[in-house]
Amino acid sequence: MAPALAARGVTKRFPGGVVANEAVDLDVAPGEVHALLGENGAGKSTLSNVLTGLYRPDEGHVEIDGNPVAFRSPRDAIEAGIGMVHQHFRLVETFTVAENVALGRRGPLARRASAALVRDLGDRYGLPVDPSARIWQLSVGEQQRVEILKALSRDARVLILDEPTAVLTPHEAEALFAVLRRMTGEGRSVVFISHKLDEVRAVADRVTVLRDGRAEGTRLLADATSRELARLMVGRDVVLSADRMPRRRPPGDEVVLRVHGVEAAGDRGEPALRGIDLTVHAGEVLGICGVAGNGQRELAEVIAGGRHATAGTVEIAGTPMGRPDPRRAHRAGLGIIPEDRLHTGLAPSLPVEDNLALLAHRHPPLAAGPFVRRRRLRERARALIDEFDIRTPGPTTPTRLLSGGNVQKVLLARELSARPRVLLAASPTRGLDVGAIETVRDLIVSAADDGVGVLLLSEDLDEILSLADRVAVIYEGRILSELDRADADVEDLGLLMGGDLVAGRSAS
Amino acid sequence: MSGLLVLASTAGAAPDLASSGRGVNSNLFVVIAASAIFYGTPLVLAGLGEMLTERSGILNLGLEGMMLMGAVAATWGSLNVGGPGWFALVAALVAAMVAGALVACVHAVLVIGFRVEQIVSGLAITILAGGAGLSSYLAGSWDLSRGPVPHRLGRFDVLGLGDLPVVGPLLFRQNLLTYASWLLVAALWWYLFRTRRGLHLRAVGESPATADAMGIPVERYRYGHTIAGGALAGLGGAFFPLAIIPLWSDGLTGGRGWIALALVIFGFWRPELILVGAYLFGASASLGLTLQARGVEVSPQLLASLPYLLTIVVLVAVSTGWARRRVGAPAALGTPYERESR
Amino acid sequence: MIRLEPRVERPRRLSVLVPLGSVVVALVLGGVIVALDGADPIAAYERILDRGFLADGALSATLIAATPLLFTGLAAAVAFRMNVFNIGGEGQFVMGAVGASAAGLAVGDGPLAVTVAAMLLAGAAAGAAWAAIAGALRAWANTNEIITTLMLNYLAANLAEYLIFGSKSYWRQLEGTGLMFPQGRPLVARAFWPRYDLGPVEVPLGFAIGVAVAVGLAVLLRTTRFGFQVRVIADEPRAARFAGIRTRRAVFVLLALSGAVAGLGGAADVGDTRHVLDPKALSQVGYGYAGIVVAALARLNPLAVVLTAVLMGGLANAGRSLQGPDFPSGLVGTLQGLILLCVLAGEAFARYRIRRVPRVAVDPEAADPVGAGA
Repeated sequence: MAPALAARGVTKRFPGGVVANEAVDLDVAPGEVHALLGENGAGKSTLSNVLTGLYRPDEGHVEIDGNPVAFRSPRDAIEAGIGMVHQHFRLVETFTVAENVALGRRGPLARRASAALVRDLGDRYGLPVDPSARIWQLSVGEQQRVEILKALSRDARVLILDEPTAVLTPHEAEALFAVLRRMTGEGRSVVFISHKLDEVRAVADRVTVLRDGRAEGTRLLADATSRELARLMVGRDVVLSADRMPRRRPPGDEVVLRVHGVEAAGDRGEPALRGIDLTVHAGEVLGICGVAGNGQRELAEVIAGGRHATAGTVEIAGTPMGRPDPRRAHRAGLGIIPEDRLHTGLAPSLPVEDNLALLAHRHPPLAAGPFVRRRRLRERARALIDEFDIRTPGPTTPTRLLSGGNVQKVLLARELSARPRVLLAASPTRGLDVGAIETVRDLIVSAADDGVGVLLLSEDLDEILSLADRVAVIYEGRILSELDRADADVEDLGLLMGGDLVAGRSAS
Repeated sequence: MSGLLVLASTAGAAPDLASSGRGVNSNLFVVIAASAIFYGTPLVLAGLGEMLTERSGILNLGLEGMMLMGAVAATWGSLNVGGPGWFALVAALVAAMVAGALVACVHAVLVIGFRVEQIVSGLAITILAGGAGLSSYLAGSWDLSRGPVPHRLGRFDVLGLGDLPVVGPLLFRQNLLTYASWLLVAALWWYLFRTRRGLHLRAVGESPATADAMGIPVERYRYGHTIAGGALAGLGGAFFPLAIIPLWSDGLTGGRGWIALALVIFGFWRPELILVGAYLFGASASLGLTLQARGVEVSPQLLASLPYLLTIVVLVAVSTGWARRRVGAPAALGTPYERESR
Repeated sequence: MIRLEPRVERPRRLSVLVPLGSVVVALVLGGVIVALDGADPIAAYERILDRGFLADGALSATLIAATPLLFTGLAAAVAFRMNVFNIGGEGQFVMGAVGASAAGLAVGDGPLAVTVAAMLLAGAAAGAAWAAIAGALRAWANTNEIITTLMLNYLAANLAEYLIFGSKSYWRQLEGTGLMFPQGRPLVARAFWPRYDLGPVEVPLGFAIGVAVAVGLAVLLRTTRFGFQVRVIADEPRAARFAGIRTRRAVFVLLALSGAVAGLGGAADVGDTRHVLDPKALSQVGYGYAGIVVAALARLNPLAVVLTAVLMGGLANAGRSLQGPDFPSGLVGTLQGLILLCVLAGEAFARYRIRRVPRVAVDPEAADPVGAGA
């Protein structure tokens, strides 16, 4: 039987020489959940954009039920029965659920019918949502339901989900898997894009692994071991449990960061932080792990002075922070490596030397009165480029042209050269290649050895375990369980990250 | 039948400010309301046009230029097109819409096709077409100020009800474009909030990425609504030579295009509120003179300033986070949409 | 089919060729319009060139016309650089004229240097204060500055009109004909700003000050901490905020600075040319909006603004002096608009590259059989 959806030799290039997909083959059978597994940057999103008509392949083509098709626009793909739920939802915030579902279809607008459709599909597939609610009023999980309803309302025969559980609680993820099974039971297919091995195991029938833009292999999940899949993903044998990186000096006693009882609201007004307590000592790495969406971003923003805390206090090196003020935070001794490097951390079009001077330009020796001494600025930039081994054609190169790893080095160089007492690093190695990951981790460890207290926020348990002295888990805006690395158990931590508090009990 | 169909006339449609009608219909309120409706009509038309454009996410600062080009085209039409009066008038109106649409085309191509900065493009067009620019040039070369415009918008007297107290002069004794503007308000309200196209338009203005992903042709909507906006602006501009000042002079529209811009915000991008706002602005334009004619001493400059102050207040209120989600500007207004290369 | 693809890097030669080429295209288009009308484009251009730049006294008159454009152009350029769209140059100019004329009336009897200084100070302060209203609303109430500055233009025009036509204020001439027809009180003759002879050209003081301001702004943007911050905020406001740059304050200061520059223009207008507060005239000329065109042509570079202001001033001057039955009115505005539009379009070309992409033809025979390459 012909596959419901297939990619044949799909290649996609971008300006600048990037080859996002190279001769990728994929076939998705009717009624199966087919996982697309790969690390960040492996080409999964690009491939899904080709499959849904947003991109046109430079070579190769897409097939539906064995027939080659050439999508000229997303509309063609939707009409061919391909639906997609993106990582960043394609929803109009100010519209209601029913209006969003009605988008893009033809014929006269029938508002009551749209609302009825939403309720009907919601009942059938287990996706209850109020059709008259406005999107900005809904939780992330509910918004995802709307996205799936959209696809179902167009009678999607293949549903592609891009990292769907990144923003769900484990309970919601289970509910999602149940919905998917109901769909495949009807003969529809699901393409499940993820970088999480264990989830793929839980939900998929077959898996295709992508690495560096190429399809490395397709396996039946019943037959493949995790080790084998991980090797396909990374290209070499991967040690699945991490050893701790060696340290020169033990942590000190002095508290350099104290967060007490912090509460804060998220962008939508929902409670994001519900009373965070943590302390970081000089020379120590406190690793906080958690699935994205549990408050890490808001916590980082509150500490950095970019978000208002509705309750609680933050003290940086003993100085209490009052109203949110990034300058005060820096002055008190905070360094930040934000999650969003190229937009929260840096001005992407500015030259590397300017970004390196972002903090220091205000003071001597770079500043003389109201003036900036450009020659000094350039000399300092060159020195930092050397010291941190930043690969760039020159100090005047626009920063966005650098590779991810070097962008991160620019950030680290800038923040560390300001001699902070506390370094807040959020997902510092996300999306970096293996060499860059090692360099960044080395820099963090050596900062800790120099006496800097490091607060490490990461989704990657292996990273936490290899760098941290103490480990904690953040879940739904609270810190669960703070313990020494030596006492931390990978499985327990994983359960805690999923909100299973029973494990927490035994760990602390 | 004589009172029914005065479509085109030489007498003009402007209300008489000092006194108008009999009895209660000459009291202050009615006169002010009548002149509000009259002077507000071009604002309604241009404002509705700009609303369509902005709802698609495009900011058009060339409104004044488009109105002027519409005025020039309408003047040309009325002066030069032969045949019965109503035919020349219709030709003039059509010419005005075409002129406005053509100018809007330039803006659309520049900002959508070439991703030029929307503000600068709009301003350049206003200067190009403005009182010292193309409209004046064409008026000169077509010799449009050789005489008063012969075919103008006349006042209807619908069903003979023009003499009813209060509602008579306000509702039943208006001209074609005013009635057209009322129809347009209703039609556009229906379009925006009850049709699929209108839903798609709003989606394009709020989140072009979402609209694109749903298969809605973003660029086509933007082009279409920008050009439609220009056509309506041209129509609004036509009101000046055809109803207000029957003799061409450079810069005839007197900056009303800028007011129409403020109007769209004042009206929260909704047709019915734009209507209200237009009449408020229209009233303030003639309020000072009307009051003075009645012997009331109020500083005309103060009165003229009120709508602008009010617009600022409204804008501040609309900009709070609470308001922005509920009644605010289309979220993608002013930002170009660039789908990653396909 | 043709696809527009953003360039990754921009070759140097394009930065000069493109604006020049655009101006040429604009002149050609303008010539076509004139020709279609039956007139001779070459002759028309010759006359513009002559009256604008070459004839006796033309350049001096051009400098006078260019001076207000220079200031409003600088005001727009410095604000737009940080994506703060100050459309209020018009109103800030008028307020500058209001302030400066008051100062000139007050101290005009004294030494010229004091008068000039007082007028400059008052003009800058008035313009800055006016712009600061919009600045505060943008910085702390998140209100879009395009419409607020636009509304403030009207309010300023109304205020100036009130001062002369609606009240018996300090600015009003209250004797002689002033009793019957409202008009502004002119400065005394010794308060008129001087002009300097530079060979064949007479340079008004206002223009010289404008050039100085241009240089000052260029230095500010390139070498000061504030200029550095402007660049960062223009590129990525979020990163600026998290690095500790006070973005709100910077926006406010920038708008106030922009208003001050426009206000200086108003002062120069009173001092150099009009010598009186003339609301009617000011509302006709549209210096504020023309300034934005000047700034855009100069690609927001303060030093280039001097050049484009002179260019536009020359056009305006020529248009004014050629006005009459045998010269098409409105040609100047048309040319100004065309030049800007062509430069904008040309700029867009420079940003993108045209690529021909063959239509993707799908050949069923060529498709791989299922399973190969898995």
